[in-house]
Amino acid sequence: MAAACVAAFAAPARADDASAPDFNRDIRPILAGKCLRCHGGVRELAGVHLGDRDRALGVSEKGRHPIVPGDPDASELLRRVSLVGKGRMPPEGDALSDAEIERLRAWIASGAAFEPLWSFVPPVDAAPTVRDESWIRSPLDRFTLATMEAAGVRPSPEADKSTLLRRASLDLIGLPPTVEELDRFLADESPQAFEREVDRLLASPRFGERWARVWLDLARYADTQGYEKDARRTIWAFRDWLILALDADMPYDQFVTRLLAGDLVPNATNDDRIASAFHRNTLTNAEGGTDDEEFRMAAVFDRVSVTWQAFLGTTFQCVQCHAHPYDPFAHREYYEFLAFFNQSADRDQPDESPTLELHPPGWRARLVDAADALRARGFDEPAFLAWLEANKAKLPPPKMPNWVIDLLHKPETWSDPVNRAALMLGSRRDDPIAARELNVLSPTTVPVMQELPVADRRTTHVLERGSLKKPGDAVEPKTPAVMNPWPADAPPNRLGLAQWMTARENPLFGRVAVNRLWETLFGRGIVETSEDFGSQGSPPTDQALLDHLAVRYAALEWSTKRLLREIVVSSTYRQSSVTTPEALARDPQNRLLARAPRFRLEAEAVRDSALSVAGLLSDRKFGPSVMPLQPEGVWQIVYSNDSWKTSAGEDQYRRSIYTFLRRSSPHPAMVAFDAPSRETCTVRRIRSNSPLAALVTFNDPALLEAARALARRAMDGTSDEASVASALLRRALLRDPQPAETARLVALFRSERERLASDAASVVPLAGAEDSALAAWTVVASVVLSLDEFLSRS
Amino acid sequence: MTTPDPIPSMLHDVGRVTRRAFLGSVGSGVGIGLGSIALASLAGSRAGAANSALQANPLAPKSPHFRPRAKAIISIHLAGAPSQHELFENKPLLTKHHGQPCPDEFLKGEQFAFIKGHPTLLRCLYPFARHGRSGLEMSSLLPNIASMADELCLLRAMKTDQFNHAPAQLLLWTGEARFGHPSMGSWLLYGLGSEASDLPGFVTLVSGDKTPDAGKSVWGSGFLPSVYQGVQCRSSGEPVLYVEDPKGIDRARRRAMLDAVNDLNRLEAERSGDPETLTRIAQYELAFRMQMSVPDAADISRETPETLALYGAEPGKGSFANNCLLARRLVERGVRFVQLFDWGWDGHGTSKTDDLLTQLPTKCGEMDKPVAALIADLKRRGLLDETLVIWGGEFGRTPVAEFRDGKTDFLGRDHHPHAFTMFLAGGGAKRGFSYGETDDLGYFGTKDVMTVQDLQATVLALMGMDNERLTYPHAGLDQRLTGVAKPARVHDAILA
Repeated sequence: MAAACVAAFAAPARADDASAPDFNRDIRPILAGKCLRCHGGVRELAGVHLGDRDRALGVSEKGRHPIVPGDPDASELLRRVSLVGKGRMPPEGDALSDAEIERLRAWIASGAAFEPLWSFVPPVDAAPTVRDESWIRSPLDRFTLATMEAAGVRPSPEADKSTLLRRASLDLIGLPPTVEELDRFLADESPQAFEREVDRLLASPRFGERWARVWLDLARYADTQGYEKDARRTIWAFRDWLILALDADMPYDQFVTRLLAGDLVPNATNDDRIASAFHRNTLTNAEGGTDDEEFRMAAVFDRVSVTWQAFLGTTFQCVQCHAHPYDPFAHREYYEFLAFFNQSADRDQPDESPTLELHPPGWRARLVDAADALRARGFDEPAFLAWLEANKAKLPPPKMPNWVIDLLHKPETWSDPVNRAALMLGSRRDDPIAARELNVLSPTTVPVMQELPVADRRTTHVLERGSLKKPGDAVEPKTPAVMNPWPADAPPNRLGLAQWMTARENPLFGRVAVNRLWETLFGRGIVETSEDFGSQGSPPTDQALLDHLAVRYAALEWSTKRLLREIVVSSTYRQSSVTTPEALARDPQNRLLARAPRFRLEAEAVRDSALSVAGLLSDRKFGPSVMPLQPEGVWQIVYSNDSWKTSAGEDQYRRSIYTFLRRSSPHPAMVAFDAPSRETCTVRRIRSNSPLAALVTFNDPALLEAARALARRAMDGTSDEASVASALLRRALLRDPQPAETARLVALFRSERERLASDAASVVPLAGAEDSALAAWTVVASVVLSLDEFLSRS
Repeated sequence: MTTPDPIPSMLHDVGRVTRRAFLGSVGSGVGIGLGSIALASLAGSRAGAANSALQANPLAPKSPHFRPRAKAIISIHLAGAPSQHELFENKPLLTKHHGQPCPDEFLKGEQFAFIKGHPTLLRCLYPFARHGRSGLEMSSLLPNIASMADELCLLRAMKTDQFNHAPAQLLLWTGEARFGHPSMGSWLLYGLGSEASDLPGFVTLVSGDKTPDAGKSVWGSGFLPSVYQGVQCRSSGEPVLYVEDPKGIDRARRRAMLDAVNDLNRLEAERSGDPETLTRIAQYELAFRMQMSVPDAADISRETPETLALYGAEPGKGSFANNCLLARRLVERGVRFVQLFDWGWDGHGTSKTDDLLTQLPTKCGEMDKPVAALIADLKRRGLLDETLVIWGGEFGRTPVAEFRDGKTDFLGRDHHPHAFTMFLAGGGAKRGFSYGETDDLGYFGTKDVMTVQDLQATVLALMGMDNERLTYPHAGLDQRLTGVAKPARVHDAILA
């Protein structure tokens, strides 16, 4: 009687207490953290697999039942995790806590329901209610404010106008505003002043250059092939395509379609085919004695891996060798997916074939004009043609661009006026104008994706443990079962894959994209592990916010600029980044978004900002990569005599996105600020704060040159020390300096000027001229360019 | 009010340092000399203290998993891969059957980098002798290393699964033949932190005029934060990139500039409340000290003539010998991992520049004496017990001749992943010990085969680290130096 009483009392209490554990919140972390490494997709020790319900409810090799729904006491899982000593699970590391064991018990008792991971369930936009409606500027503010209100936290006040403009400018175009832009904004008292600035920035021709940086990291873009020889590769047309597409706000679904399958879209233009170079940024191994098929497959593996990382935030490469240990992907599914990428014609060739030849716009007319000009300068065309005719069987090896030599060997093409113009110009390399015209009008090449002819299609096999030597079953192209269904009528190739990828039903596509935008603006994604939305990644700090943005992006017809606008004009974005010890202690990671983040600029923005405030930055866009100053002896490449030749003129001062990138030896100043070598896809740069970066800010001659130019600008039209110091700070930091700051710099100027009086030898190296005032101000400007505030966005 | 408030006290601390330094530089009035050195050390101790007060110093020393035998590593990588048959592997049967076709059973399923057709056996080209009390066998190309035989632990049955340079070098140093994984030195810095307060904890020295085939990834930090990457210390030009003040900026001026930077940064830290600004102040101070300590460490002209002669080092010249001496100076100063690469060991026998009869003796002549000197020098300074020296290439060379394109003017061997020789010295490895055996041709390992992953696990064990516990989450997995695919084995048999 007493026992029955206790039982009757205990049962409802337990159910009540545990309130039916939520699988994803309460159970998955236990299984993923303690069990799946040995009892998951990779190793099913003792025949136990706890990764999905069907198998977890099965029978182990020893005939035991790991999980019996509704009956915790009959479940081997619960017995083993509860043991002390021999036989306890997990056998190594910490035992499960009592609370964890109770949660497992309650979960099994309530039926042991498995639920798919949050990221595999399509997002739903469900706006919460908030108390303070007046704070809402953008739809997303409702989500952040609801989270803050639930935590009992108030948002930070709005940042001051100077901070806000510098922040938005660095975030959207990767450059600080000019002083003139700042002054105009400060003078604009309209309530829409900031929105106007945001619109200006979104329309800026600098926008695409800033956001292309993100895509170049994902695309593992570089100007060399990688591996031992690491020879040059011409693929900058792809970088330019990115900039153009981002400037034009190409809808994200179309953008991704072209990256994946630009060569296959109906009526593909040259631009579409250039976009497909996304997946031609894989490494090419030109080292002697390598097996081309091995490295062709290495590139295909990489394409699969990068496709999942860049667009789906999922680590798929481990499935190359075995089933995913933690997430619901089978080994076979990897090779079915790989089959989409296994039909392209490239095969690890040093010449990067297949490639596309691209002339600059308007090249035909200009070529014909140049030939006319050559005739006008007395070129004897009939004699030249007669010579061509007479010698066509035995033409000597000419010094002409390859495409003109090709024409030379095709006499049937000579009657075309454009071709004839090219031949004429090619025959007169001694004529500087002809040589220049032919040079600028010659095509560049870009490696592109191109499907094999049907007759040459490859058969894709499952590879045991990922080994080329162990081919298993043949498979057809297919997407994993756990994801959205294959769209009806989609062709079974990369174009169909793009349709599947960009389908509204794809649970990951939009989320991964908006998380990346958020990460770029806020320094940390809503899912911090932007490379992994799987069960081993970090869960979203605010899933409702993430899902809202993902749904919103699709509703805005994947317009990146419109979504960015909603984010940047929001109250959430406009908050001040100033924090207090209390706020830091309460929320060190800023998960509640109750303040704006403050973080160091990325490598490109550090250099570009210095050039910009110094007035040195070139606004020339596009074209072959350039070589700004780099210390001597950085390039030492095996089996190559290639060397770094500093570019002439304004090419030294181009935005960093145009800097030549050799994979085996990227620019050391960029590396010090965490720029990657682009051998692999970089989803997220981890910021460091290292003495090597400090040495670059101290000693990079390019930064000293910027300091000198900045000093010269600040000295313009005034000799008043306080005015110069103030102008230096204002030009660099884009805010009004405080008197203490100005005074400190004036003190430095005076002491340096005094020391320079007895140290005349230092004047010219600092100032570039016999100008001791400029030399002292250059020292001061160098200080300003080293400030944490200059290197940060707040 | 019971919770201590970390931020203001940190501000205070760092603020005091820079204020003192600032006042000091004004007050001392002696310019660059004593004043700035004294200031640097003052700033050093305080900034160091402030730094360790910051939670986020990723290079703070950390405890190993268990008692370490070694504290530091000097690795000597002969890039291109030297021939074990000419240095350590005395195979009388190979010599006896010289010129005969390689037996078929070895060639089944074999894929060479360059050899085509059925190759013929190539004898060991140099005479071997036994050395020291241990009686380790070495060829006449290594007279100096042979004199240190009783300090060596030969690993004769090393095995890799890569037969191209770049992937094999990556596999040896990063545990993965593809790019993107951290190198051994990065893992050690991540796991153990740095003991060098004003030098990088992981330094790379390159000789032979070229970086290794796999580029800088062999000392890269891969998916670990970039603060763990190796810093290349160069033997000509600036020892470390950007370490030298530009023309027009001397030490006193740099100090004055840094004081102003610190003062303004401190104001910013007070305004913004961002602890990262304080870290930057500490890192700037560290960089300032490195500007002194790096050139000081790199200046081998401070060594005695006797020591210079021991190594065959010549100050001011870029050479392997100088790098060996520099490695000792760095380890002496607390650097955790010094990684040497010397290029020019790819002995295919296609020309004079890679011929086993001319080029190999030249390279050995440059390498043998400094390596022996390094071991002897570490030993006499009492550093060898806690410093592990690792010597070897990324793979071995074939017991058969290459004769590329049928040309027989020069002698060479192709790449050989199945069996090759490396050696360890000091750092808790057995002394005068030969480990592992190969078959009569030196083609395959037959006993105590050590894969490169096993070597990594064993090296980590010598450093007090369990390779299964030294992990970093990336790509959905707890990554390890030795890879996640299969467990690596610590070879206890070679631990002293």
